Amino acid sequence: MHIASYLSSLMQMSRLVKKSPSVCTDLPLNSSDVCNKLRLMKELLKSSYGPTARLKQVHNNIGGAVVTTSTSSVLLQAISSSHPIVSLIKGSILNHVSRFSDCGLFASVFCLSLIEEAGRCDLSQNVIIRVNKHLLSLCTAHLQQEDCGCKVQLDFCSSQSLITLARSVISSKPTCVLSEPESAHISRLAVQAFLLTVPCNIPDKVRLGRTVTIPMEGHSVLESAVFPGLLLDTPENISLGNLCSPLRMVLFSASLAGDLSELGDGRIEVHQGVDTDSQIVDQLLELGKQVLKDEVKLFVCQKVIHPVLQHYLRCNGVIVIERLGISLMEPLIQLTGAQPVATLHTTVPWEAYGEVHVSVRPFGSKTKLHLHPAGKTTICTMILCHRNETMLSELKLVCQKTEHVLRLTLREPCALLGGGCTETHLAAYVRHQSKNDVSESSPVLGCSQTEYLLAGEAFCRSLESVATSLEHDDGASLIDLTHAHHWTLPSDATEEHLEDAAALCGCGVVQSCQNKKWSYLNTEYAEFSPEPLLTASPLQPTVLDSFTAKVNALEVAVETANLVLDVRYVIQDVN
Amino acid sequence: MLEGVVINSRQHVGLQKLSALSGRIRSSVGPFKNYKFIQDESSGDSVLVCSCFRIIENLEPTCAVGQLVYETVRGHHKQYHTGSGCLLFLAGGWSRAALDSLRRGISVKHIITAMSEGIDICLDVCKKFSVSFKDLAVMEKCTAAPGGTKKASTDASIEMANFHDKCLSKSGQRKVKLSRHFCEAKSDMLSTVRHPDQPDMIVIAESLSHGCEKAMKLAVEAAQMLLKTNQQRIRDPLFDISKMLTCLVSGLPEDYACVVEGCILLLSDEQAAAAHVVKQQPLKVALITGDLSQTYRHLGFKSLPGEQCVCEDLDLSVSSKEDEWVDKVVKLLLNLEVKLILTAGLVSQKVIQHCCRHQILVVEKVNSSVLKTIGSSTGAIPVNYATQLTESCVGDGVNVEIWRDLSSYERKSLTAVNISTGRSSGLVTVVVTSCVHGKLQALEDQFWACAYRLYHALKDRALLPGAGGAELLCVHQLQKQAEHDRVKDSKTGSAANLYRGLVLQLMADGLIDYIAAVMVNTGRFTAANARTIVSKQLTEFHRDEISTEKFLQLVSQSKREDAGFSAVKPDEAPALNIYDNLSVKQEAWRKALDLVLLVLQTDAEIITGTGQKNEGNLMLL
Repeated sequence: MHIASYLSSLMQMSRLVKKSPSVCTDLPLNSSDVCNKLRLMKELLKSSYGPTARLKQVHNNIGGAVVTTSTSSVLLQAISSSHPIVSLIKGSILNHVSRFSDCGLFASVFCLSLIEEAGRCDLSQNVIIRVNKHLLSLCTAHLQQEDCGCKVQLDFCSSQSLITLARSVISSKPTCVLSEPESAHISRLAVQAFLLTVPCNIPDKVRLGRTVTIPMEGHSVLESAVFPGLLLDTPENISLGNLCSPLRMVLFSASLAGDLSELGDGRIEVHQGVDTDSQIVDQLLELGKQVLKDEVKLFVCQKVIHPVLQHYLRCNGVIVIERLGISLMEPLIQLTGAQPVATLHTTVPWEAYGEVHVSVRPFGSKTKLHLHPAGKTTICTMILCHRNETMLSELKLVCQKTEHVLRLTLREPCALLGGGCTETHLAAYVRHQSKNDVSESSPVLGCSQTEYLLAGEAFCRSLESVATSLEHDDGASLIDLTHAHHWTLPSDATEEHLEDAAALCGCGVVQSCQNKKWSYLNTEYAEFSPEPLLTASPLQPTVLDSFTAKVNALEVAVETANLVLDVRYVIQDVN
Repeated sequence: MLEGVVINSRQHVGLQKLSALSGRIRSSVGPFKNYKFIQDESSGDSVLVCSCFRIIENLEPTCAVGQLVYETVRGHHKQYHTGSGCLLFLAGGWSRAALDSLRRGISVKHIITAMSEGIDICLDVCKKFSVSFKDLAVMEKCTAAPGGTKKASTDASIEMANFHDKCLSKSGQRKVKLSRHFCEAKSDMLSTVRHPDQPDMIVIAESLSHGCEKAMKLAVEAAQMLLKTNQQRIRDPLFDISKMLTCLVSGLPEDYACVVEGCILLLSDEQAAAAHVVKQQPLKVALITGDLSQTYRHLGFKSLPGEQCVCEDLDLSVSSKEDEWVDKVVKLLLNLEVKLILTAGLVSQKVIQHCCRHQILVVEKVNSSVLKTIGSSTGAIPVNYATQLTESCVGDGVNVEIWRDLSSYERKSLTAVNISTGRSSGLVTVVVTSCVHGKLQALEDQFWACAYRLYHALKDRALLPGAGGAELLCVHQLQKQAEHDRVKDSKTGSAANLYRGLVLQLMADGLIDYIAAVMVNTGRFTAANARTIVSKQLTEFHRDEISTEKFLQLVSQSKREDAGFSAVKPDEAPALNIYDNLSVKQEAWRKALDLVLLVLQTDAEIITGTGQKNEGNLMLL
């Protein structure tokens, strides 16, 4: 045995191994391996969807940090698959999330459901792709309509609807572990921060400001706060004693550490006896002298400042802040009007200086330097507090997402009903529309009427399955047969007790009443046209979704699913 | 490659891990702790640990749940230095409650709602039954009035009293007499020590010592010394804990532990020689935040990898760069007449030698808060490099005293010096001693736990009934609520509150388990025995419908000694009230529940990277 294996290894060594040919797989979606992977991915993402989601622990099994989350951006980034189809889906959803922040899980669950449903109904891929495209345009056209039943106009006269929107986003992530008053507090702060970033006097070009988030571990969530301007970490025992505001400030983007890092890896030859270090320090001190002469009182550097220069400046009454970090550079430039100086080898031009008011603000055990301009500013700082690191990091993610969602409302001042109601409404609408236009549409799409209806059913079921995914505790999902809103029935309640068990629909607009008819979401029901809600006062939904993000997510999901369905061969280089 | 572990919902693996991990510290909760050896099988190293935090720290949990636990406990310990065991134990107890609820078919959503309500009840109980300092002060008067004096029980407290009669007030408010020494205090230099509503710190401290009487004695002494030195500046009864330092000395018996004003540092042989020269005279001091060596560069400095030195003529007489640098530094120091250098970083051997030759004392690895305090009281400005030093950076008026020569106790010579500033720098060092080197860490931890307990008590200005009292009250309240839900359910015929009642009952069981574990650890009860006593106590509670005042009375009478909750051994007579910290306990409970809820809601692990681990339930994507 031993000799044999030794010989074979010898033979292998002497042989020149040719590159193995690429592997071509026909119809990848027919392989059970791929189907299993897609199903696993769907389960993973589906179970992370919504405010009662199950969380995932992401770690690398060799002692790295553990992240507990249900956020699509983190989850998808953690997924790295050997199969190109999984990577394709992951890539396109991540791209959506990077542009809109919200609805990543919606898009993934919908996309994967579409692929799964397409495999279930026995139709040719081409037909499904064409019908999907057609129905998508039907949906988007409906959503753009003024009288669309699942859309609400946002009222900018009051902050109420904005707060509701913010709260829906914030409470959709259970890792934050927020109580009712806490999530209300954070939603208010998010809206407050958003409003602070909108400029008051509008020039020809509106430019939104920035919210800088500072996480602080170990404090109660209710201590979180928003401040206009910037809060920076300060060196200890700073005294503003005899400094009169506003202060002149200078901002360096170049490292003032005293090294020659900009030389890169190049070689440098020096004569013996030449002390490069002290020469650079002299150069730095020269810079310090100039800055002092120009009466600068606040000296900020993105990177490290040499201790000698720091000491020199501090002794001369200048506030020195180093290691600002790249993320704070842009807000600081906007706030102060300073131009970042990228070199230490020329004198600082007068135009590069900025001006800012400074005060000291204690927060918890730390002291922060509060920078704010004389007039209005669109830069604000949000201090987020939570009891532990895991919850705090998720809260930070969620708040950044909320900021983005609120900004999107400026583009399209409306929102969609949340809690799965938009999905059930769209499904009912599409089902109704496709029944009505079957005779006209099927010839255009080049398929039979039955094929059209079957593919349409698959599309609607996929939409409804997203609404069903919101429930994780074995409860049943229902649709009411008048307004087509989404209802959940807890697992321990029976249908007779529906009125008691589910008093309100998913988005909180419709109240249950005796003569309402319901149907389970995974069963068939007679198609109907969802009735609009006729109320005198404007709708007051308790859960809202971002309109812009959801419409885009819908498109991304259908297009990605169509692309995956269209894949005929997978060619893999196995070398 | 992604792998997912799917956790079976009824047999939640994560919760089981959490419960198992908390089982490791079962014998370490409460005042009676056993030492444990934790051994590293691969290297053969072992450590002696005592506190729950050190156990978890040294176990180095690698699983995802374990890391979450460690992160939480570390965060708590960093802030409070006490209560980690309570946190971890309850996380385990409540994860078992969650597991039990799952097993009975209660949905995750319901468990979360019910448990959140449960913790609200518990925190509410804590708030309601906490004993404010005002009440304590009143209670002190009451207890002191009828019996006259309480007899001081141990020599320790007499010793303590001997010390305190120098610094305690004779303000008329104070009636409690712990010993006759106390009443005869004649000192009036510190009449502002006590606020009218402020109970005696010693009484508070004793009731918070939780079995670490010696450590608490040190903590009180240190706290009062800090208060005394800072008295002129602030009239705040809260001491500045950042001015408290510890110095660990092995080889001395534990009884040698003491509190010293100033900053005690250990020196080597060479340094000691220099110290003997400069002692007992006001010195000029320089403070360095970096290392004291030629190769040291500040953080963030990137040295050039490709720097080459070009010589035009060969000169063999040139001394090394380091020698040049050392000469330069020493010359500078001599010019500035600096006699003492304190550095936060390390000092190269060469510098120490040169400095000692010139009778300059160099001390390395000095706590940065020491640098700050000495800086602010002498006017010295800490600098990064020695070459940066100028006249204005140098502080004046520091005293170095040889505190102890410890050479005789250890083979290598060791001298402890006390560095202090004449104008009371406000630093206080607690010297922790032990003959067993491995025990020092545990003793230091005990001291800090006591110091922080005292600190938080003064900060909260309220205490929580201890010795299981708060837990018992919570159990009582939770059970009452559960019973209430059950009655309501049977009346209305609905099952809406059924789950809640059940979960609350299970949460109460977790707390009972904690009390029982603490009692068992005292070694005087068997597990069954402890539970019987707890349930007896509970039925008493249920029967009399206790109110706040009644409970306070109960506490003040300390009649619960016979129930055996107290940490005091039965043969030691004095009836002592035992208290816990309010904020620490509340925070620990809340963090424990946070942990349980996070793990409860987690249904899968995503393992990234290529870590090879063959488990049955892994799925690859």
